[in-house]
Amino acid sequence: MSSGPETFYEVMRRQGISRRSFLKFCSLTTASLGLAPTLMPQLAHALETKPRIPVVWLHGLECTCCTESFIRSAHPLVKDVILSMISLDYDDTIMAAAGHQAEEILDEVRATHKGAYILAVEGNPPLKDGGIHCLPGGRPFVDKLKEMASDARAVIAWGSCASWGCVQAAKPNPTQATPVHKVVTDKPVIKVPGCPPIAEVMTGVLTYMLTFERIPDLDRHGRPAMFYGQRIHDKCYRRPHFDAGQYVEAWDDEGARKGYCLYKMGCKGPSTYNACSTVGWNEGVSFPIQSGHGCIGCSEDAFWDKGPFYERLTSIEPFAAEGNADAVGATVAALAGGAVAAHAAVSIVKTAADKRDARNARAAARAAQEAGSNRSDA
Amino acid sequence: MSIQTGRDVHAADITDDDASVQRTTIYVYEAPVRAWHWITALAITVLIVTGYFIGSPPLSVPGEASDSNLMGVIRFLHFSAGYVLAIGWLARIYWAFVGNHHSRQLFMLPFWRRDYWGGVLWEATWYAFLRTEPKKYVGHNPLAQFVMFTVFTLGMFFMIATGFALYAEGTGLDSWQYALFGWVFDIFPNSQSVRTWHHLGMWAFVTYTILHIYAAVREDIMSRQSMISTMISGERMFKDNRDD
Amino acid sequence: MTTMQTPNGFSLDSGGRRVVVDPVTRIEGHLRLEVNVDDDNVIRNAVSTGTMWRGLELILKGRDPRDAWAFTQRICGVCTGTHALTSVRAVEDALGIAIPRNANIIRNIMQLTLYVQDHLVHFYHLHALDWVDVVSALKADPKATSALAQSISPWPLSSPGYFRDIQGRLARFVESGQLGPFRNAYWGHAAYRLPPEANLMAVAHYLEALDFQKEIVKIHTVFGGKNPHPNWLVGGVPCAVNLEGVGAVGAVNMERLNLVASIIDQSVAFIDQVYIPDLLAIAGFYKDWLHGGGLSSKSLLSYGDMPARANDHSADSLMLPRGAIIDGDLSTVHEVDLKDPEQIQEFVAHSWYAYDDDAQGLHPFDGVTEPHFALGPNTRGDPGTRIDALDESAKYSWLKAPRWRGHAMEVGPLARFVIGYAQGKPEFKEPVEAALRHLDVPVAALFSSLGRTAARGLECQWAAYRLRESFDDLVANLKAGDLSTANTDLWEPTTWPKTARGAGFSEAPRGALGHWVEIERGRIRNYQCVVPTTWNGSPRDPAGAIGAFEAALLDTPLADPEKPLEVLRTIHSFDPCLACSTHVMSVDGQEKARVVVR
Repeated sequence: MSSGPETFYEVMRRQGISRRSFLKFCSLTTASLGLAPTLMPQLAHALETKPRIPVVWLHGLECTCCTESFIRSAHPLVKDVILSMISLDYDDTIMAAAGHQAEEILDEVRATHKGAYILAVEGNPPLKDGGIHCLPGGRPFVDKLKEMASDARAVIAWGSCASWGCVQAAKPNPTQATPVHKVVTDKPVIKVPGCPPIAEVMTGVLTYMLTFERIPDLDRHGRPAMFYGQRIHDKCYRRPHFDAGQYVEAWDDEGARKGYCLYKMGCKGPSTYNACSTVGWNEGVSFPIQSGHGCIGCSEDAFWDKGPFYERLTSIEPFAAEGNADAVGATVAALAGGAVAAHAAVSIVKTAADKRDARNARAAARAAQEAGSNRSDA
Repeated sequence: MSIQTGRDVHAADITDDDASVQRTTIYVYEAPVRAWHWITALAITVLIVTGYFIGSPPLSVPGEASDSNLMGVIRFLHFSAGYVLAIGWLARIYWAFVGNHHSRQLFMLPFWRRDYWGGVLWEATWYAFLRTEPKKYVGHNPLAQFVMFTVFTLGMFFMIATGFALYAEGTGLDSWQYALFGWVFDIFPNSQSVRTWHHLGMWAFVTYTILHIYAAVREDIMSRQSMISTMISGERMFKDNRDD
Repeated sequence: MTTMQTPNGFSLDSGGRRVVVDPVTRIEGHLRLEVNVDDDNVIRNAVSTGTMWRGLELILKGRDPRDAWAFTQRICGVCTGTHALTSVRAVEDALGIAIPRNANIIRNIMQLTLYVQDHLVHFYHLHALDWVDVVSALKADPKATSALAQSISPWPLSSPGYFRDIQGRLARFVESGQLGPFRNAYWGHAAYRLPPEANLMAVAHYLEALDFQKEIVKIHTVFGGKNPHPNWLVGGVPCAVNLEGVGAVGAVNMERLNLVASIIDQSVAFIDQVYIPDLLAIAGFYKDWLHGGGLSSKSLLSYGDMPARANDHSADSLMLPRGAIIDGDLSTVHEVDLKDPEQIQEFVAHSWYAYDDDAQGLHPFDGVTEPHFALGPNTRGDPGTRIDALDESAKYSWLKAPRWRGHAMEVGPLARFVIGYAQGKPEFKEPVEAALRHLDVPVAALFSSLGRTAARGLECQWAAYRLRESFDDLVANLKAGDLSTANTDLWEPTTWPKTARGAGFSEAPRGALGHWVEIERGRIRNYQCVVPTTWNGSPRDPAGAIGAFEAALLDTPLADPEKPLEVLRTIHSFDPCLACSTHVMSVDGQEKARVVVR
């Protein structure tokens, strides 16, 4: 082994994995990332020799679930990511340094790795009142974020907070929490949404960038297409029950025990782009639908405001508690129907009255004519 | 008699020479327009019924999942009817270029013409029972034109765009449907919002259908020209020969 | 005036040099600490400031109460699930919903799983580096390390070769010059006391624990579908049980139960053979560093948790003790009632909020939060650029100051253990006494940073064994034929009263957690949370009483004020969670924030 930074290959060798197995791992990784088999040697070479790229991981308004998810990564193990793949120079949640010694690292990384480090952002900056609602290090987080983004090579927006705004940006967004791409506009921002994102998706995106030295293919919203290209619904193992018309009608009913589709319980799988139904959670042990609860859509923009989570149709403010598209639409249609019925009734009455008036008028005219002729007769 | 269109026809054009003919008819809706109307009516009916059930599925089906495909059928009908609606709409747009004068009325709102709005007002007063006798129209009356354009025409574009965008979610990011309609997700990043709007759009069409059918029946009875039969034969029949 | 006496018995001296630690790292959220040290570098004044505010309770207004668990769960991703549990309990309390027995057991299993994982991660990954010098491990003799490890535990990963490999990897890491998360730390600091071998052993276990913690949470994944942020349900749990019927593969079945059982066994082994031996070994080197007691010897509070009997939330049903201790009087454990307006009140005299009368406290049911960011006249610096020092005589934190019958309280594992100890419960008393005997220290040693850290370890062990018992309860109940996991009688909002209000409680790993909800016409009218770190990290109240963080820092000598390792050590012993504690609520839409810099 070399005496320099330990490479990914060395990690695997140290753990008793042969070169043969290592190459097999590389080809599996290549396949699972949907890459051409010809890229396999490139991946193997990269994992064998790459030095570690500095990563600065900032926390704004958040709940730390992204970091917690990240440390759950099983392949690669997060200890190997931290010790051998990246140089995690700054991350409030796990770094040993604190206070001004911690803040100095930011300046050092900016100075020594200008344009070379990856900025990972968990959480988002609140912009209201100059950003006073998040003051790490005694100053607005938004300033820290912009400063660190200005010299970064690329920005990863971890989780739904950084990608979309998430819970603190749900209506009425009291702190004006703002996603990263609206603050950092001059750098590529890779969104890895989810509340939190799946651990292996996080490490998968990161290692893809390290391995292939490029940003993965992104969809129109800036999400890596390899993990966010399809909906949970498209690959859900309960999909046959959806197509068959077999649904959980109430919690813990017969359908729930048989694993029927959770569509009627408000599952947002049909409108949620994520890898839960394929990659699974926590080494593929399960994912929300498999454990009996519908998807709440946590990787989608503004999913907090598309609830309630237990209704298929989104509530429409400011209507009543059960106000959704059906309630609103049916009300409008019923009003239209009622108006039509009333209008029809009035039309009939009025027409009848008009005819009577016309008849009377004709009768009166006839009477007048007869009276006139009588007069002339006289 | 019938007057072949090709030039603007107004009630005033029907001269006293025609007085000998008690009932005047004018050819308004050409065959493609009529066919389109009824095909679209059928498609919309199917779309509304299946669309409602996609949002609120019927009670669960018992038995093995492989024995049933109820939601699959409902969605298939919805998508098929959607294609029929969309292709029909494209054909209808084409016909607006090559068809007669009346075939273009659906796509136009003379927004800047004062007399048009006067006509809308006049027609509104007729519906408010403030007039004893309506005017005669060869095409749509101004109020009808307004509703047609704002609810139906714009609604069709809206429903087709949102519908195909949602359909593209199933066909995938590399499908032509996504290439053509993916922009909808730039406006609504969360497709659940597109569902909500598409669903509201359905109710707009339900409401429109109620009003449309009512107005057609009522006008057929109370106005001075034929309505329902016109969309079958294409000929507008006037019940009298007086001007306006 | 630089010296003053606080009503809760501490003397403060704000003369001397001001030392600022911001950000405090290895915690959840954003915390700032400022201390004044005297000429001997002893802390004489402490100021604890929450520097973030999100407004979740305001966001909850007008939502479906059945959704509230998901919102409040996002208060914190570290103690993930505990807010959700508290929230469903609050809603169930308001609406009078009883949950099935299986649901109660599964919820207990979820909560105990969190305890095991969260305490383990806290000890090794958030706290250990305050006691363990990573760089010193390079000087260790792997053979001696192996001997040390084998002398304290039967854990199999303890050969000289194993430790040599770890050391080699660490050496290459350090030699690379890219120290990553270990960069710029206080390595070589005089306050580190462990010999190189103990440091190396701890580093090895730091890495092992990092691998292992992800296994524990798979229990959450089985029952809740994912972790962090598993799914919960008002009225029960979302996972259905199907042991042998058609479709059983889509529900909790034998394979799932086996997975849970296997993880519980692994957890018990790891805690018994790694965590507890490490804890006692490290504590042995620090047993004369007994600073950081603060409020722990005076005022402690616990709401209790894990009901042994479903829907019975009385103190004697709860596996974790409920009660309050005042002024260090262990002979009396006071009853705690979350709904009593006289007991829990929040004050904002020194918080960035405004009340009609800042001198008054409000019970959470009557809570008002109007953000009001204002800095005192002696502030140095500016929030727009950088605050150099805050003025604690004015408002200085996004945390409110909760008080129990007017007392500042400490919450958390130590509070729970001391309350259980005072109640004479053997499951808390015996392990505490055994640990004290092992370390040969008096009971008073409990009231320290080290005591807090030790209580957390003992509680982790307690939780692992309770996890096994709860699992056995679940199997026994299923065996008896009870498969029910949810009560849907009151699921539909149409079945609810027009107005209702309720309180939910739990013991988060960090301490007492309460949610208060008011429901009107099927929607949330008011939602309040009072969370552990709001208790521990609270700023001063109108009377000037200081909170647990501030109290614990007092009188601690710093070896080097430039590198305030001792401050981190004491604060980390509380396991702070700032995203949780930064409060917001506005009952009547008073969400207007004002910025005043005087």
